[in-house]
Amino acid sequence: MIELKDSGVVSPAVSMKRNGRVGNTLFKIAAFTASALIPIVVITIFVVLFIEAYPAIKAFGVWHFITTKSWDAVDNHFGAFTPLFGSIYVTIWAFIFAAPISIGVAIYITELAPNWLKPIVTTAIELLAAIPTVIYGMWGLFILAPVMQNHVEPWILDHLAKLPVIGFLFNGPGIGIDTLTTAVILSIMITPFMSSLIKDAFGLVPEVIKESAYGLGATRWEVIRKVVIPYVSSGIFGSGIFAIGRALGETMAVSFVNGNNHNPGSFLDMLSLLNSVTTITVTLADEFTEAVGRLYLSSLFYLALILLTISFSTLAIAKIIVWRLERRWRT
Amino acid sequence: MEIGKKMENVRIKTRVVKSNVMMILSTLAALYGIVFLGWILISVLYHGYQSLNLQFFTQDPVPPGMPGGGLKMAFIGQFLITVVAALIGTPIGIMAGIFLAEYGRGTWWAMFVRNLADIVISMPAIVIGAAVYVVLVAPLHSFNGLSGSVALAILALPYITIATDEMLKLVPKEMREAAYALGAYKHYVIRKVTMRAAKTGILTGVILGLARMAGEAAPLLFTSFNNDHTTFNLLKPMATLTITIFVYATGPYHEWHEQAWAAGFVLTFGVLIAVIIAKFLVHGGSFTAPFMYVARRIAKINKG
Amino acid sequence: MSSVIAIESPKIEIKNLNFYYKKSLKPALENINMPIPDKRVTALIGPSGCGKTTLLRCLNRMHDLYPGIKYEGEIIFDNTNILSKSTDLIVLRSRIGMVFQKPTPFPMSIFENVAFGLRLMGIKNKTELKDRVEAAIKMAALWDEVGNRLNENAFSLSGGQQQRLVIARAIAVNPEVLLFDEPTSALDPISTAKIEELIIELKKKMAIVIVTHNMQQAARIGDYTAFMYLGKLIEFDKTENIFTNPKEKLTEDYITGRFG
Repeated sequence: MIELKDSGVVSPAVSMKRNGRVGNTLFKIAAFTASALIPIVVITIFVVLFIEAYPAIKAFGVWHFITTKSWDAVDNHFGAFTPLFGSIYVTIWAFIFAAPISIGVAIYITELAPNWLKPIVTTAIELLAAIPTVIYGMWGLFILAPVMQNHVEPWILDHLAKLPVIGFLFNGPGIGIDTLTTAVILSIMITPFMSSLIKDAFGLVPEVIKESAYGLGATRWEVIRKVVIPYVSSGIFGSGIFAIGRALGETMAVSFVNGNNHNPGSFLDMLSLLNSVTTITVTLADEFTEAVGRLYLSSLFYLALILLTISFSTLAIAKIIVWRLERRWRT
Repeated sequence: MEIGKKMENVRIKTRVVKSNVMMILSTLAALYGIVFLGWILISVLYHGYQSLNLQFFTQDPVPPGMPGGGLKMAFIGQFLITVVAALIGTPIGIMAGIFLAEYGRGTWWAMFVRNLADIVISMPAIVIGAAVYVVLVAPLHSFNGLSGSVALAILALPYITIATDEMLKLVPKEMREAAYALGAYKHYVIRKVTMRAAKTGILTGVILGLARMAGEAAPLLFTSFNNDHTTFNLLKPMATLTITIFVYATGPYHEWHEQAWAAGFVLTFGVLIAVIIAKFLVHGGSFTAPFMYVARRIAKINKG
Repeated sequence: MSSVIAIESPKIEIKNLNFYYKKSLKPALENINMPIPDKRVTALIGPSGCGKTTLLRCLNRMHDLYPGIKYEGEIIFDNTNILSKSTDLIVLRSRIGMVFQKPTPFPMSIFENVAFGLRLMGIKNKTELKDRVEAAIKMAALWDEVGNRLNENAFSLSGGQQQRLVIARAIAVNPEVLLFDEPTSALDPISTAKIEELIIELKKKMAIVIVTHNMQQAARIGDYTAFMYLGKLIEFDKTENIFTNPKEKLTEDYITGRFG
């Protein structure tokens, strides 16, 4: 047996060993338990929501619930179509606005900005990410919506609503509280995250690779489009999904500037940017505390469960795709 | 021959022009972002500053139409709920991060938990609030501040875990080995050496996670709800700055709007100061840094 | 084929050592038999990948930090086989210390760095700590440079100073054997010379094993030298014999620079 030998020291080696060993195990158990809480919380949330949603699930089924447009508290008949459509539609438009801007910001910071300006612009973009969502909402309601209502949307109504084929996108009351304003606000909210991630991804491309491309006579844009972006494509994809996830789950910003319109009219009306719809998050926010009746509340939980499932699946699928892409690169 | 040469030049010129156009567009994109940032901050500053006075912080609200009054209950409530949420979420988050980086690195469990954490970070906050309602509000038959803290803690937890995990992973393995070589137990190495080496990074992660959580309102809608007078009782409904802003800004009274702006001012600049402090602590610390793992892994693979 | 001379009462005796990295079928170390003499410097030399660092890390069971490894054979220290599963690694490492290639000061003050191992052993008495830290720093020939700023952060020291600090940290616990893994490869020539001087002083009190890729260093400070190649021990002898009259052709080829 190896024993502690140390000239000139009377040290309680045995007690040290005992403290050390027991503490070692305790610490490990504590750390493990902490890590286990994450899956436990996730499972609990799903289970809890499912239990609460069950009455509505039983009453309306799955397919029927998703495709029913009516949301009637009086009749006790609820359908998820309108809020579900709204959530997805608003997110799509937010992404359409945010994606090119995020890529543009990332390009600017990595390729164009002079060195002294880089940290300033980077910090500015990150501050945008830090602004609380209620502030975005409030600002959207008090500042952006009037601007949209008084300046932007009349212009759109005058010029774009009459266009053939896509004109229907621009029909509507145009009062500033609508899908367009919501999409703009959401896009500003998700841009910082997307652009930060893309910028960081760009920064990982080794200089030598870029230099090789320049050496072949490529222009700046060609290097970015044909070398840099493909190199980090999975990172860009991941950041896009991440941004979509955030937009889908956003409540505050949306509820200020979109209202909770369960009856936007026909499907074509719903597609209009100048019309307002509702989203799952806004429906929940607005009606949860006032829902009377078991089925009503249960339907709200059903909505929450649907949103959670979509959000979770989207992120999980994105992760699997990124993982697969990485595996392919490895071999 | 001459014609061929001319066409080549034209083609090259087109490519260059196209490249320049794209660069200009990119610059405009950056400008777009900065313009909005400035617009939002200046609006908040301008409108909020006007309604700030001492009463705002020290008095509870009065009925609209009457002069004076403040949002004391919101400040106190926000503070309490945030602190309790921090107390719940931070130790758990750090310990979970320690487990992922120091005990479980490479195991399937750690990968599973880490991936779950990535997903939870982006889960809709309002849905989390709804779930906490079922567990902590309905059984107690009352909205309460504690459930709000729990909901916020769930939001901050994955963020802190991931930040801790990433920061610990940056500590060079030689430093750990040197500590083991002196005859230390694992928990001693972690606590006295590895954590100390990563401490600024972890602190930044905690600050940013808490700052982000403090700005949320959605999870509080069905948990801590709201209150129009000051209370210190975590088992009763509690007001918060965020919820108050929501209620006041969407309300019908002009005084409410003014107070919403003022509350927004305090909230925004509080959060921004926290973020700036975090940036000072770790050069390059950012909200998005913990999510960098995706791009980092790609680079590692592409390097061959 | 290996030529190993015998040593009277070696501090450590390596017997038939095979070592396998994570789940590997081919051994990284093959049938090593070697003594480590006490109060002398033993240098391990050989081309990159020959296993010298791997062998070094067996002596304080540093490999155990990583899963999937396997030891076969025996390493005898203080009449016990330290490769057995019942060996207390914590105690072992307080008696066999290690200095790494990259200086790794801990993120704490100079004093706390050197006191780290002492605190591990349970020494709490402030005077004792102070005395032993001072003694260790002095022995590491660093006292003149840091004696008056023990509370400063260890990172404020230069690379060479940091490495001497790390040595002070290792010797504060009075180890009987000190293992060096290419301790000067990251340092400038002046710091290297200082550390080589230090090692020559230290060998009066403990057995030293040093892995080096620099043959001249082995010739300068090694009393005994072991030449390794592809995981096998080729030759172990007094340094002057290895360099002037090697018994194995492979050794001679390496010494004369036939391969690097």
